[in-house]
Amino acid sequence: MSAPALQNPAPPRRSARRLDAALIGLVLGAVILWFAPVGMGRYGTYVLSLWLVMSIGVMGLNLTLGYAGQSSLAQAAFMGLGAYATAILTTKYGVNWYAAFALSGLLTFAVGLLLGFPALRVRTHYLAFVTLAFSTLIWLVIRNEQWLTGGVYGISNINRPDFVGIKLFGALEFHRFVVVVTLILSLKLWWLVRSPWGRAFTALRENPVRAASLGIDTRTYTLLAFAIGSAYGGFAGSLYAPLVEFIDPSPFSLSQSLFLLLMVVAGGSGYLFGPFVGALLGVVLPEWLRFAGSLYLIIFAAIVLALLVICPQGVCGLFERGWHALRSKTGGAR
Amino acid sequence: MKSLWVMAAALGVSLSLPAQAQDKVKLVDVIELSGAGAAAGTNWKNGADMAAADINAKGGILGKPVEIVHYDTQTNPGNTRAAVQRAIDENAYAILGPIFSGPIGASMQISQRAEIAQIVGGEAAGFTRQGNPYIFRTSISQAAAMPKIAKYMKETLKAGSIAVVWVNNDFGKGGRDTILPELEKAGIKVAVDVSTEQGQADFTADAIKVKNANADAVFVYLNEEESARFLRAAKQQGITKPMIGETTLLGAKVLELAGDAANGVKGHVGLSTDAPIPALQDFGKRYREKYGFSSDHNGVKGYMAVFMVKWATEKQKKLDKKGVADTLRGATIKASEEPGILMDTVIEQNGDLDRDSFLAEIVNGKQVINTTLPRIKP
Repeated sequence: MSAPALQNPAPPRRSARRLDAALIGLVLGAVILWFAPVGMGRYGTYVLSLWLVMSIGVMGLNLTLGYAGQSSLAQAAFMGLGAYATAILTTKYGVNWYAAFALSGLLTFAVGLLLGFPALRVRTHYLAFVTLAFSTLIWLVIRNEQWLTGGVYGISNINRPDFVGIKLFGALEFHRFVVVVTLILSLKLWWLVRSPWGRAFTALRENPVRAASLGIDTRTYTLLAFAIGSAYGGFAGSLYAPLVEFIDPSPFSLSQSLFLLLMVVAGGSGYLFGPFVGALLGVVLPEWLRFAGSLYLIIFAAIVLALLVICPQGVCGLFERGWHALRSKTGGAR
Repeated sequence: MKSLWVMAAALGVSLSLPAQAQDKVKLVDVIELSGAGAAAGTNWKNGADMAAADINAKGGILGKPVEIVHYDTQTNPGNTRAAVQRAIDENAYAILGPIFSGPIGASMQISQRAEIAQIVGGEAAGFTRQGNPYIFRTSISQAAAMPKIAKYMKETLKAGSIAVVWVNNDFGKGGRDTILPELEKAGIKVAVDVSTEQGQADFTADAIKVKNANADAVFVYLNEEESARFLRAAKQQGITKPMIGETTLLGAKVLELAGDAANGVKGHVGLSTDAPIPALQDFGKRYREKYGFSSDHNGVKGYMAVFMVKWATEKQKKLDKKGVADTLRGATIKASEEPGILMDTVIEQNGDLDRDSFLAEIVNGKQVINTTLPRIKP
């Protein structure tokens, strides 16, 4: 194989094998993460849980941006919608968390569908501006509608859910719950991107006109990419609220949307594992760099900058390049 | 891709840290060193470091040296929670900070569950009303300060109408929601109610709104940087009405940033290194020498927080984490017994403080204290 092979030119048989490796990777990762926090203390466990929750949000954006090519600056707003929907439903109306989780997903799916309509008319940075406006709008509603959202004071004492009678108040129990939810959601996404839908999303990203000429209903798929990506944001928010047990508007501001976008790009947009790597860089790396004292954010920024200069395709892109280089060497010998 | 999981696991393992032996008093300072709260947090951090140095120079607490570790919260509730969790995992003796009330709200349940005292710099009224027995303030709250301001406006300024300018975050909104009923009680009309944004750069429009309202005085309740920007904008628009504030508006950082525009500003300050109390002035002088700039009230709060821990520990005569909170609750710390507390402080059952405060004015770029106001419950 001599082609640079960045856009999936591998023959179908090999591609299927690689995706199966992805499935094994996901399950194995979940098993490791199930046991990883043993003896780690609450802080380490919390950071791992936060990483997974952010990964879900980034996964959604990865679908919208990485697979379907629609740039969005509203993912944190969707996380906010999900988090507030869950917090309000569970604390004010006593709704069960599972129902609140589903409703948060539905709500963000519906709103994502609506936001997808401008995406039918505008693309690239124009679309980013539309989503930017939406993001600001949601943030203002969260902050100003105090009767509903608690405004700047936020909502506190958000309860963690039960699982078949087991209370998930402890850091470890809740972490394991997050691992399971993340696994389910990432398996769903794994299935989605290798299904005809996923192919259609990719076709949409590569060349919408050609995709339409091949009989793909670009309108439906654009809307779906937005809606599903947004629903993942909602799911992430729905887990974020009980994880932190307190929400206020600040984690759902525009700058957080930009940060989520950075995680998609730095992890590798359009790769199944990209969101995990991206969120690892965004959430765990700064915590890990704390040994550097007051310089830690500067070091963090320098690492991200260097990373994007060296590999614009993100960490996963770098891995893939390395992998292909290795294979073409050994393949040549075979 | 498996290497990714290995990497994650390795990072995870490195996050878990071994517990430390009790050969020193370990305090963890969870504080805003970046983000919107960076100016306030840096002052607090320096104050806490100074307190630790002072205590260690005199032999520590019960013979054990004090060690302070600072964790940046990025002024973000989620990160604050992580940092407090880390403090507890690292077996902190007490937790200092944070200052912003959102981050306080996100982290105080954790110290409560671990039964560790968390001594914070927040002034918003809400968080001591939630029945958490492990949270303590280092300054008087908005709920205590605002009645004093309303009284000052009515009796000293004889103002009939006030323009209120506030920052729309938990601090600003909390202050505004507390002063409006006080103004109403005092029979003062609110001529205009101006909401501004955290991190806002241009206050021209707000200054014009205030000018057009033509109120007898302007009450400004913003964070430090924003206060300075508003004062400059107000000066450009030629607003000549008295500017009244609470602590932040008269802070050292504001004087530095606003320059001339701060002259004439009056208000209530809970803590000031210019107060007519030798211990506070001495602290201010030593802080300036050490760090090269003047400490605002947050520096004083950080200093006092460490001494609150010291006082409680020496009072109970043992290193007992839970006991620190139990001893502090309802205590009266006299500066004659513990000079590091700087001024007599009464801690109420819910963690609120009661102590003297001051009325100040900015004259030639310097804060001048005019009046010392007594405690609410003398």
